[in-house]
Amino acid sequence: MSDQPESAVSTDAEAPEAVPLEAYASELADRLGAEGFTVEFDTVRIHVSPDRWVETINAAREDLELFSWLSAIDWSKEVEVGDPVDDVDALEERFEVLCRLSSVENADGAIFVATLPRDEPSIASLVPTIAGAEWHEREAHEMFGIDFEGNTNLAPLYLPDDFIGNPLLKSYPLISREVKPWPGDVDVESIPEPDEEPGDES
Amino acid sequence: MTTPEMIHRSEAAVSVELQTPDMTLNLGPQHPSTHGVLRLIAKVDGERVRDVEPVIGYMHRGYEKLSEVRTYAQITALVNRIDWVSGFANEVPFILGVERLTGIEAPPRAQYIRMILTELARISSHLVFISSYPLELGATTPLMHALREREYVLELIEEVTGGRFHPNFNRVGGIKPNYGGGSTTKKQSMDLPAGFFQRASEAMDRMDKICDDIDQLVTGNELIKMRTVDVGVIPAAKALEYGLTGPNLRASGVAYDLRKIENYLPYDDIDFDIAVREGGDCFDRYMVRLQEIRQSARIVRQAIEKIPTGPLQAKVPRVLKVPKGQVYSRAENPKGEFGYYIVSEGGKMPYRLKIRSTSFSNLTILPWVLKDELIPDLVAIMGSLDFVLGDVDR
Repeated sequence: MSDQPESAVSTDAEAPEAVPLEAYASELADRLGAEGFTVEFDTVRIHVSPDRWVETINAAREDLELFSWLSAIDWSKEVEVGDPVDDVDALEERFEVLCRLSSVENADGAIFVATLPRDEPSIASLVPTIAGAEWHEREAHEMFGIDFEGNTNLAPLYLPDDFIGNPLLKSYPLISREVKPWPGDVDVESIPEPDEEPGDES
Repeated sequence: MTTPEMIHRSEAAVSVELQTPDMTLNLGPQHPSTHGVLRLIAKVDGERVRDVEPVIGYMHRGYEKLSEVRTYAQITALVNRIDWVSGFANEVPFILGVERLTGIEAPPRAQYIRMILTELARISSHLVFISSYPLELGATTPLMHALREREYVLELIEEVTGGRFHPNFNRVGGIKPNYGGGSTTKKQSMDLPAGFFQRASEAMDRMDKICDDIDQLVTGNELIKMRTVDVGVIPAAKALEYGLTGPNLRASGVAYDLRKIENYLPYDDIDFDIAVREGGDCFDRYMVRLQEIRQSARIVRQAIEKIPTGPLQAKVPRVLKVPKGQVYSRAENPKGEFGYYIVSEGGKMPYRLKIRSTSFSNLTILPWVLKDELIPDLVAIMGSLDFVLGDVDR
């Protein structure tokens, strides 16, 4: 295999179709009065202020009719399992709540993102206007500890009632990894280092 | 007592409204119609269901957390097991997402093979529905017929991938070479087993035949129609609000099929129709799936004719370096939109992986659609939504 520079590979991914999608995202963000937008890898993210969360999403549902999913990301410096973020020192600790809406006519769609503080995160619930969001909010509540004001049923969905903690927080340990670190004994071949290239391929 | 008085009294006794105070009826966690372990706590008033609270999570395996400690290549083995009835179709959106992040594109032949196997998975998943749904309504014969035909499809999947249910066949930049074909680094990558296309096209003829048989056995059956027509009607607006996708949404008159609108796999080269029906009841959901088996057979036949020759694997660095970024990748699973939101921070493993599983969203409508329905219809409606609990619980 010839040495293909990896940086060139990653920029190629963003090059096609970037222009029309960006125009779409900027038009959508302007129309909804959002804080801004990001387009990467054909994925449109619209940044919404938390106090305009319900209002913005309901306005967007006029042409993005399908409520697809709602979830969250924990941006944390304290990482018990998995890789930490790229630049830990520059990281601003926060939660991001994401809600994806899609059009049923074409490939249009956007992910709405609201940023919440890491201590006592709370946002208005979508349930009064989008009943289908209830289970998604219950899941985000138990997994991240985010409070959804106005959702009257935030009982655990997946977890047992007496479960303590929020498993999808980056600071929450994975017990199986505590017992047996990765890679385990079953791995015959260790993961090679990034600079190692195979010899017999080109 | 005089005669008129007796008549009056007996009439009064008949027309009296029976008091049926709320009773709690527990279904499951183990119930044949739940395809896994789902518990329903139903408040019933006589024969009417007044309120249903589904209890899920018995099969929660925490795939989103587990994915944070696995490399991208290892995650395909996990995502196979989300919806075990169509394992191959779960891998596709994930691997497409990683390919979008890394900018690696699979060669056309690999894309066609992915498409063929996705459609085979769709047929197999729908045949499970076609076999089990009449069973839930009391008809046992279609089960035998449909499951027999499903074996032909599973055998095709097995001879290519080595696995009936969990193929784990997709690789970033292509597909796994035929088993026995050596490692992916070998220059001559192996191709599909000899005679595969011939056997696949014979199997597709069988699929058309079984659809005709099922039409005769089930579709025209008066009892099936009485149990399903106008039962569990879901209007399009409600379906969209609850995030229903796939056949459940198309049965409500919304022609939303990612194979047509999302640019992935060479579906553009193929001529096929989206099965849509307007009524939104249990019968329409059944009919859409039956139609889709025929359409999938059509897709497989055309793909066999059009498949280009060439390599099965693009050039991929031995250690996959995934750039920083976030991508939402989705594809049409047999049950609807299946998506992965991958958050990469440039490491070997994703920082966060959100799995948008189809059955989870399809099941959220359960309390709404079961409200005020009859108890016997509860099973009919639940079965018509065609969910798999592994897909709900992740």
